[in-house]
Amino acid sequence: MKKYDELEYLKLSKWQKFLYKLLSFFTSVPTRIWNGICSIGLFFKKIGVGIAAEAKDIVTTFVNGDWKTKLSYLVMGFGCLARGQILRGVLFLLFEIVFIFYMIVFGAEQIGLLASLGVQGPAREYNAVFDSYQTQYHDNSFRILLYGVLTIFFIIAFLYTWRVNIRQNKVAEQILRSGKKLKSGKDDLRSMVDDNFHRTLLALPLTGILVFTVMPIVFMILVAFTNYDAAHNGYTNQLFTWVGLDNFKTMFTWTAGGVNYSAAFGEILTWTLIWAFFATFTNYFLGIFVAMMINKKGIHLKKLWRTVLIMTIAIPQFISLLYVSKMFSLNGLVNGFLMDLGIIHKAIDFWGTPTLARIMVIVINIWIGIPYLMLIATGILMNIPADLYESAKIDGASGWKQFTKITLPYMLFITGPYLLTSFTGNMNNFNVIYLLTGGGPTNPSLSGAAGSVGHTDLLITWLFKITTGSDTKYYLASVVGIMVFVVVAVISLIVYGLLPSVKNEEDFQ
Amino acid sequence: MRKNTDPQAAMKQHMGLKASTRITNTFVYVLLIVISIVWLIPFVFIVLQSFRIESTHQESYLLPKQWGIDNYIHLWHTNFPRWYLNTFILALGVAVLQTIIVLCMSYTLSRFRFKMRAGLMRFMLILGMFPGMLAMIILYRVLDDLHLTGQYGNVVPGLLLVYVASSGMGYYVSKGFFDTIPKSLDEAARVDGANRAQVLTKIILPLSKPIVIYTTLTAFMGPWADFVFARYVSQMYQDSLNVAVGLQSWLATDTMIFNNYTYFCAGGVVVAIPVTILFICLQRYYVEGVTGGAVKG
Amino acid sequence: MASVKMMKVKKIYDNKVVAVHDFDLDIKDKEFVVFVGPSGCGKSTTLRMIAGLEEISDGTIEIDGQVVNDLQPKDRNIAMVFQNYALYPHMTVYDNIAFSLRLQKIPEDEIYDKVTKAAEILGITEYLMRKPRALSGGQRQRVAIGRAMVRNSKVFLMDEPLSNLDAKLRNQMRAEIILLRKKLDTTFIYVTHDQTEAMTLADRIVIMKDGFIMQVGTPAECFDMPANLFVAEFIGAPKMNIVKTNLIREGNRYFVTPFGVKIEVDGEKGDTLRAKNVPAGEILLGFRPEHVSLSDQGIPVTLEVNEMMGSELHLHVYTEDETRLIVRTPTVNLSRADRENLAYGAKLHLSFEGKVMHFFDPKTEKNLLCD
Repeated sequence: MKKYDELEYLKLSKWQKFLYKLLSFFTSVPTRIWNGICSIGLFFKKIGVGIAAEAKDIVTTFVNGDWKTKLSYLVMGFGCLARGQILRGVLFLLFEIVFIFYMIVFGAEQIGLLASLGVQGPAREYNAVFDSYQTQYHDNSFRILLYGVLTIFFIIAFLYTWRVNIRQNKVAEQILRSGKKLKSGKDDLRSMVDDNFHRTLLALPLTGILVFTVMPIVFMILVAFTNYDAAHNGYTNQLFTWVGLDNFKTMFTWTAGGVNYSAAFGEILTWTLIWAFFATFTNYFLGIFVAMMINKKGIHLKKLWRTVLIMTIAIPQFISLLYVSKMFSLNGLVNGFLMDLGIIHKAIDFWGTPTLARIMVIVINIWIGIPYLMLIATGILMNIPADLYESAKIDGASGWKQFTKITLPYMLFITGPYLLTSFTGNMNNFNVIYLLTGGGPTNPSLSGAAGSVGHTDLLITWLFKITTGSDTKYYLASVVGIMVFVVVAVISLIVYGLLPSVKNEEDFQ
Repeated sequence: MRKNTDPQAAMKQHMGLKASTRITNTFVYVLLIVISIVWLIPFVFIVLQSFRIESTHQESYLLPKQWGIDNYIHLWHTNFPRWYLNTFILALGVAVLQTIIVLCMSYTLSRFRFKMRAGLMRFMLILGMFPGMLAMIILYRVLDDLHLTGQYGNVVPGLLLVYVASSGMGYYVSKGFFDTIPKSLDEAARVDGANRAQVLTKIILPLSKPIVIYTTLTAFMGPWADFVFARYVSQMYQDSLNVAVGLQSWLATDTMIFNNYTYFCAGGVVVAIPVTILFICLQRYYVEGVTGGAVKG
Repeated sequence: MASVKMMKVKKIYDNKVVAVHDFDLDIKDKEFVVFVGPSGCGKSTTLRMIAGLEEISDGTIEIDGQVVNDLQPKDRNIAMVFQNYALYPHMTVYDNIAFSLRLQKIPEDEIYDKVTKAAEILGITEYLMRKPRALSGGQRQRVAIGRAMVRNSKVFLMDEPLSNLDAKLRNQMRAEIILLRKKLDTTFIYVTHDQTEAMTLADRIVIMKDGFIMQVGTPAECFDMPANLFVAEFIGAPKMNIVKTNLIREGNRYFVTPFGVKIEVDGEKGDTLRAKNVPAGEILLGFRPEHVSLSDQGIPVTLEVNEMMGSELHLHVYTEDETRLIVRTPTVNLSRADRENLAYGAKLHLSFEGKVMHFFDPKTEKNLLCD
């Protein structure tokens, strides 16, 4: 497409400008994605370069170091101990002893088993005590994978500590050479509440994230490359093992008449995006609308209106969602009401009709979401400088023009990042869908795919269904989870660059 | 939050606004009343039906024909008190521990400029793009190995651990708040002889009451609404459910709805009342937190 | 009560921007030094490095003979007043001032004596139980100074302490800082962007630009003998007029020819030119607005703007070749009619004297008369 320079662009008419912007956005999408991929490449390159530099430093430190430093390569913390930094030395040494002990007793075996995820499954074996054949359980694939991942994490932590230990020696040598004194254990303890206070503060939260978020995610990504499911639970029936990219092939190949995961995935993804779009923007604009009504000049009882809406936030969502869901059920309150009034003669199947069910979840989501958006919008509306409106009035702008030219751009500018997170949040909005429809009504054309796919199922509820019930397919759930990540990451990548307010975090400080 | 109406504007109103303004205002009032009704109706219904004792299923009329508190009494004879206790203990624990972790995390990211800071924040952003449900499967298995699931009748510690452990990732709102406290206060205190820990305890924390309350409040409300993971971990053992899973189990099938509907309503009211009261009392801080969080991104 | 010595101090930010280049300065005990320069010149960064609030990228800073590079702010024994005062909003004025003393675990009765004494000196005794938000800007400023005063610190740092005050209050506080200095009798380092503050407060001024020191000297030195074009234009208000012209040498006499008028450089300036044997050639000629006078003949100019300052007039004029100049003339000598004639478009004539001119190299922008 043709690129206009600034002056040429200004000459275009309103529609041409709009078209131009739209076109340049879409033509920029491939570049954005490409840049994103490149930045991943750059990231790994940076890591590679970093590791190379570290390796070089490790070698030069060894060559230039004194015997205390050299011995520290084998006995961690020796240098510290020899130079009188008892506390550091003891900690290093202790860590090394624990690590070696762990590896000998447990870790090395786990790493060895990781390649096969276990060799001996349960078998009927002769038991001398009972004098009969009994099922004996042997390897446990799940534990092997889990402890394998843990051990790898532990090895990385050890390597890092070893590296720190070497750098400590180098720094200590430098300090001693320049005639200064080394930090004592007391200094180290004191710095924990002062110049190293951030480490103290982060220790607990980051450990939590590492163990309870990073490790499970790594584990589940690995599961996507195994055949872990109900029939291969890795212990009581069959072991599971590595299957390479088979699961991704299953998910994305299309065979006529067969079990079509690709069709199910495509359809669910489409609905997920539609849902996220409507859920985000209906709430957003209606929320602004309600906020503006409440804040309109000359409207009294502002506090009352606001409190009514806020109260609905307080009530736990599962109560309201479950209640509303039953209210619209076949023999629920709404149908009963309408029939009693004679408006309808046959109950409306709100949750049984695909399109109606989809509209219903979006509408009920508005009911759930507007109070939040009203709060957010109110806060921002209050912050719009009044002189903007005053000068617009003097320039002759009508109420509608003021909204489209001042209020809306301002809101969009400020809430850009919020809109993005709320879009991706809605893609993963499990509660609303699950508690309202449970994903239903079932889509018979996708019955081949696992987890009885329904018309209102999002990827996340599908994932849930695959992992519960009797026919669980964990490997498939992992694939779906990875795909959710990819979709969210791509959307974020495309949109993030468009947001003016995220460009520089420090601008707001 | 409320805009001051200046006296002149008030005068104008009494002397008669322009007709068009009056019409739009009437229209706005009508809309607001409709909105209020729509938003409150389900809750009014729940309360009304929790007092209906002539039948336990859904009816097509609103006002109970027979009033009574039988449904509430019935709750006592079910597992509901146990569920309630489970959830309440969890909520208290989460409120305390999660607040500490979130504040540590957000304060550090707001105030310290260390080498890995930007990378750490980007890493957590990417981590947040993975559906949390994915982690639940394995965490569930781990808790089971640790004997912290429903079959061992011991779900509260495990759930607490999982809820709290990763809460550091939700640092955005409180970091936004800390960012608004001028850095020169920290610097002045450090020049005055405070170490970093004293800066936090003596200067920043006393100034952070709104965000501490907001964080605690949202943390406290979380466990009341958690559904998925609590369900996993409970393995549907009655003693191990939280209120959300328990009450949902009463409405699992049509026959159950028929038998339990009014009990569900009563249970819902009992759950909602303390949370709502707490919420209304601390509304101001909640509003501050939500708006601040969205503005700061 | 202490000297501050800075040797080759450097500040490089993470994004490779160099904020301060090889900063060398010796501050004597009990000296009042002002860092002055336009925003972004590195003056605040330098001060914050002394305070320990910014890391020092290279070089050493010594306070009282002790290297403080790796010391935390709290261990440097300094006091600092911040631009926005940085009063702790949740504490009363008393607690604000007592904060540092309490951290030192000084007994409460001693703290009481010190705080009340400081409050008395600053005239804020009646506000001791108030919170900072109930105070006016000037009162907050005093509290901030009081907080720094009670410390008995070796060095007293002030980072643009007056820039948030209105003009009148600023003048008043400036005078009070001079009095305070007499009372405290300690080393002061003061940062400002306002050259008037620098001139009135300092024993020595350090003028900075883009991370470099442009000149260090007493106010009089900086005014009378600016080391370069930047200092010449920065010090003094309204700023010095700069004209590109030629320096001509005829035997032992030097002349300049601004706007085609030949003026002899006489007096001390002429002597220095001769002594340094400055070659003839193109130069930048600087002269302050107060050294130009209106006369009946001389350089013809047209008046554009007439600013009435009360005791004097600032006349913005342009010459025939469209060079803009500022002329400062006392109102005392002008009759009412004369003043009324000084309106837009009035034709005037200027004359100047050779003994108050400054000469700068057009390439290096250095003062030709400085070493």
